[in-house]
Formats: sequence, C-alpha cells, structure tokens
Amino acid sequence: MLDEPVNVERPTLYHVFLTYFRLANLTFGGGDAIMAAIHTELVTARKWLSQEGYSISYALARITPGTNVLAFCAGSAWKIRGWPGAIAAVLVASVPAGIVVILLTAGYGALQSSASARAAIAAMVAASVGMMGTAACNLLRPYLDRRRWAPAVVIAGISFALLQWSAMTPIRVLGLAAVTGIIWRIPE
Amino acid sequence: MSLLMLYLLLAKATLTSFSGTTSFPVVRHDFVEHYHQLTDRQLNAAIATGQAAPGPNGLYIVSVGYFVAGVPGGCAGLLAVITPPFLIIPMLQFLGRWTDKPRIQSALRAVTIAAAGLILSTTLPLARDALNGPLPMTIALASFAFLLVKRTSSVFVIAAAALAGLAAQLLS
Repeated sequence: MLDEPVNVERPTLYHVFLTYFRLANLTFGGGDAIMAAIHTELVTARKWLSQEGYSISYALARITPGTNVLAFCAGSAWKIRGWPGAIAAVLVASVPAGIVVILLTAGYGALQSSASARAAIAAMVAASVGMMGTAACNLLRPYLDRRRWAPAVVIAGISFALLQWSAMTPIRVLGLAAVTGIIWRIPE
Repeated sequence: MSLLMLYLLLAKATLTSFSGTTSFPVVRHDFVEHYHQLTDRQLNAAIATGQAAPGPNGLYIVSVGYFVAGVPGGCAGLLAVITPPFLIIPMLQFLGRWTDKPRIQSALRAVTIAAAGLILSTTLPLARDALNGPLPMTIALASFAFLLVKRTSSVFVIAAAALAGLAAQLLS
C-alpha cells in the first residue's frame, strides 16, 4: 500500500518528477549513492516517504530483476504517488542517460576514422575490461568471510567452469545456482 | 533481427540479472555466440559506452541495441532496461513476507555468487580481444585495482583511460 506522508501533504507528480530527475541524474557514485541521496531528501528532509517504506523498497530492489537503482526508484516513488509516480521516476532516472548512451554509441562509429579517437576508445574499452573484473570481485567479496567462503568459492568456480568449458547457457547455470542455494543454505 | 526479437532477447538478459552488469553473460551468449549480431569488440565498446554515461550501470544494454539496429534498437534496449524494475511493485504488494524466507534468501545469494563466476568467464574472450599490448593491459589492471580499492564513479575512470590513450597516441 502507499505510504502516508509524515506531517506533510502528498507531493504532486510534477514534484516527484523533478526530484527523481535531479537525484538520479546529478548524483555521482552509482546506485548506492543515488539511493542514499534519495533517503536524505525524501525521508529526512521532505518526509514524503517513511523509513519503513524506504527500507522495504531498498530490500526488495536488491532482489528485483534488472537494475537495482531503477527498481528502487519504481518502488519508492510508487509508495509516494502510486503507478504514475513509479512510471515518472523510472523514466526520468533512465531516459536522459539512455539518450546519452545512444549519442555516445553513434559517435563511436564516426570517431573510428580518427587515429587519436581510436586510441582513446581502445583505452576506454581496456578500462571496461578491468571494470568487469571489479564488478565480479565486488559481487563475490561480501561472501568471502569465514562462514560463507566455501559455498561462494564452489558456486562461483563451478559457474565459471560450466560457462567456459561446457555447452550450458548462462540462464541454466543461474537456475542451477538457485537450486544449489535452496539445498545448501548460505547464511546471511 | 526484428525489434521485437531484439527487445525480447535484451529483456531476457535483464530479467535474469540482479544488477547492472550481471546481464552481461546472457547478452554475450545470445548476441555474440548464438545470433552473431555483435562482435566481442562491439560488446566491449557497448560496455565502455554504458560506463561513460551518467545514470544506472545497466545502460550498456541501450548501446547493444544501438549496435544491432540503430536508434530504434537503442530504444528497444532502453525499454528492456526499464521494464523489469516495475516488478518491484507487485513484490511490494504481495511478496514482501516471502522474501524473508531463509531458503529464498540463500537461493538469491547463490545466484549473485554464480553471476560473479559467469562475468569472469565472459570477460575472458573480451580481454583477449581488447588487451593486445602493454598499454591496454596496464589500463585494464589500473582500472581494476583502482575501482576495487576506491568506490568512485566509473565515469571518471573511463575519462582517465581515454586521456591516457590519447596521450600515448600523441607521444608515439
């Protein structure tokens, strides 16, 4: 159900639109930074969203398929203004950046004729390979503690091997991992 | 490839991932290995482009869509990115209590861990394509180490890499 705003009137759709636009597009530091900024602005300062509403949106965004921060925007804005609020928040959090990505990708082809641009693009691509390694490590790192390192190493290692050396598709590997997680309990 | 097919394949990738870049193994399997719509080099460029833009991490899917079918493909990619997050609303309405079940939590943890293994496995062919000399290798290692130690915006790392590549070209 929708949140009852704390001591304030329910914000208009326009205000939701503007606030999510600013927080999602002008906060540097990725999804966690954006979600922290939303807490500061919507829970602490404006009191549009309760702490409970924020917490449940945050927790469920972690397990919603797709991009966590967009799920969080959808969930928290739905708590504030229902479906219109959720649609507005997701659109303003994704469409401006999506347009930038389309323009950058269009520029990629045009820039291939310049040697300097090709060198810069090759360096950016190399950096993105490093970032993919970091993304994998950051996913695994929280589980490498004393209680969970064994299932973490086994599941990650087998997933790596299955994709690398068998004909199994990534979706089947993920399904197998889910079944493994149900049988072999990984502690919180 | 039709726009509907493109959208469905990209949506399949985003629906089976739980953060921005964990859709990557499914995207590579479908678009590079199965349908041959992308090369590893284009996929690498899509990831770099997605990282260079502000906003959520998973927007490299938009770039993948653009490489396959131009601006309409980019729009199909954007639609595939923004569709799954709305699943949180029925979850807020109906599933809140189920997500506390320890075995469900454990299954989700296992999927996250498996995604780490899949990303590493999928990054290997991209690395073979992109890291073809000492400079790209150094940049990749530096990006990896820097972001592992310091959680800063990837936009800055991509910009620094571009400057390094440009400087190396001008000095050579």
